[in-house]
Amino acid sequence: MQALANDVEIRGVYKRIGRNVILDGIDLEVKQGELLTLLGPSGCGKTSTLNVIAGFLDIDQGDVFIKGRRVNDIPAYKRDLGMVFQTYSLFPHMTVYENLDFGLSLRKVPKDEKKRRIQKALELVKMTGLEDRYPRELSGGQRQRVAIARALVVQPKLLLLDEPLSNLDAKLRHELRAEIKRLQKEVGVTTIFVTHDQEEALSMSDRIVVMNKGKIEQVGTPTEIYIHPRTEFVFQFIGKSNQLQGRVKSIDSRMISVELEDSGQVLVEAENVMGSDRTCTKGDAVKLYIRPEKLMIQPVENTNPNYNSHTATIVQMNYLGSAWEIEVSLLGKRMQVLHPSIEAGWTIGTEVMVGWNPSDMMIVKK
Amino acid sequence: MEPVRYDDRQEIVSLRLQPAVSGKRRNLKKYLYAVLLLLPLLLFIIGFFVIPMLYILYLSFIDTEGPGGTNATYSISNYGRFFTDPYYLHSLWLTIKVSLYTVIVSLLLGYPVALTMAKCSPRVRGLLTLLVASPLLISIVVRNFGWYLLLLPNGTVNQLLIGLGITESPLKLLFSEAGVVIGLSNAYLPFMILSIATSLYNIDPSLEKAAAILGASPFRSFISITLPLSLPGIVSGMVLVFSMSMSAYVTPALMGGANVPVLPVVAYDQIINLLRWTYGSAVSYVLLGITLAIVTIFTRMMEKGRYREVFR
Ligand SMILES: Nc1ncnc2c1ncn2[C@@H]1O[C@H](COP(=O)(O)OP(=O)(O)OP(=O)(O)O)[C@@H](O)[C@H]1O
Ligand SMILES: [Mg+2]
Repeated sequence: MQALANDVEIRGVYKRIGRNVILDGIDLEVKQGELLTLLGPSGCGKTSTLNVIAGFLDIDQGDVFIKGRRVNDIPAYKRDLGMVFQTYSLFPHMTVYENLDFGLSLRKVPKDEKKRRIQKALELVKMTGLEDRYPRELSGGQRQRVAIARALVVQPKLLLLDEPLSNLDAKLRHELRAEIKRLQKEVGVTTIFVTHDQEEALSMSDRIVVMNKGKIEQVGTPTEIYIHPRTEFVFQFIGKSNQLQGRVKSIDSRMISVELEDSGQVLVEAENVMGSDRTCTKGDAVKLYIRPEKLMIQPVENTNPNYNSHTATIVQMNYLGSAWEIEVSLLGKRMQVLHPSIEAGWTIGTEVMVGWNPSDMMIVKK
Repeated sequence: MEPVRYDDRQEIVSLRLQPAVSGKRRNLKKYLYAVLLLLPLLLFIIGFFVIPMLYILYLSFIDTEGPGGTNATYSISNYGRFFTDPYYLHSLWLTIKVSLYTVIVSLLLGYPVALTMAKCSPRVRGLLTLLVASPLLISIVVRNFGWYLLLLPNGTVNQLLIGLGITESPLKLLFSEAGVVIGLSNAYLPFMILSIATSLYNIDPSLEKAAAILGASPFRSFISITLPLSLPGIVSGMVLVFSMSMSAYVTPALMGGANVPVLPVVAYDQIINLLRWTYGSAVSYVLLGITLAIVTIFTRMMEKGRYREVFR
């Protein structure tokens, strides 16, 4: 049997439609009260995973447990979950109140309690006073709030959210992002959130599940995913990156030394090997990755012996407000650097020193 | 995704003409252009519909049987006669009854078909649409004679019913109200199906999912979500079938004969066989008026009713 702390357990779920393998051996545990995000590119199977949990998609193999109960053969309408859809999916012929009432009436909740719970749910999403409006008469953000309230008012075992913010403008998206997080903690409902927006995932989640092509690439907290990506895919998907190529020259327990393909040599921490077996040996062709904000840019005369340091030439400079995005030519490659400030006199063509900590560079066998 | 608009349907019923482009001054050029494009149709409708209709209206107010004999006087005596003669009142009632039955039968038969069409893949849907519309490809007379053969006292349907032991003696299917309803339902079912199907296509499929996850069984979800949201299609289908049934002539004449004298048959008889043009004209206008009244009251009731939001 499963541990009680897990609200959802998915084991070896496999699903094929026609020739497409949509879910290819998904194993997943969702802890009680957490906000778990399914993150991945379009078509990777996020919605499908959610639909399997909700009961909208039959699976070919595997098991799904919700609160310790195997639900493979239980239809969606008996699973007692809450779900918010990308298109809001409010019932257009019902008022806000009637939309919220729908699930409660099906559960035969007494009238007084229904009223109280609907009021409370509307308060929670700051929609009090709009009970008699029809969905047509609400803005996008308001509709989404009602949709969330409708899902929560039935006190579901799980809250499932399928890209609930993707139809909203950037500002509203930010606002609702914070609000969903607040709500989720306030209500304490175990939540699975689907998004293809890495920023959204990083800022909201307790844990992130990165998916690719029907498989799970990595599960971890936002910092784990960002700082210690386990696969190349995760590294590239979760943020911007610079890439170098080379061959492993020597390895010791702490450091890997890599001879770059054009010229030069860099050090990478031995822990930072990505890929399925997380090892590499001398002579392996490898790819190296580093994030723009991990590259430090300094005047030429400054060097740090513990760092990888190379001279580079500024190729382009963009001011972003909070930082400078500087493109440099380094070791024969174009590299992006994100740096909070620049020195006076730096301009295109200026020689600079670019350095980085070996612990910030990731390495993977080609 | 634009649902069937109400106004479109009312135009079908009342043949009201509305300019396609609003007449604001800055749109004048566009407006003129639209009028120009519509002109042939406009002339056609005026020449072959509006003028004859007005002429018939004029005829219906001429009294040729009053004290003046053949000297025509204007009066409402034709209408007075209609509403005081039990025969014609019965005929009116018969017309309404047969039309209502036809509406109900085609709704009950058509809804499941429309639902199936909405649920299946686009390819199958195309095929079904063709199949559903196929009765429209056959001449109404030919189609009625087909039914004629099937519904005869010793025809296929009766033989089947007797063979299955459902009835002992043949049912009177031909030259009866039942026969007329069968014929009319068959003829107008495609309009009902396509009208309902169109409104079903417009329902966001995620609404059913939303209902399910909130705990609604498929049946409950159908009753609370799909059915109300398909009301515009149901209403337009009902209105179409009803008004077409009210004015149907060929099918009642062939399938009902003298036993089912609906108003169009009566009007035809008055004008063609008895040469009572003026009375026949009045009968036609009563038919038109009653049909419009029923349709208008019905649609207004639906638009103002419990599910008025669906009609927005
Ligand atoms: N009914 C279906 N028939 C065939 N293939 C399907 C069907 N539904 C989904 N797929 C395929 O399954 C894969 C996963 O789809 P899914 O909707 O789960 O992706 P997703 O991660 O939610 O993507 P998005 O971010 O675009 O919503 C896709 O490649 C898609 O083409
Ligand atoms: Mg999706």
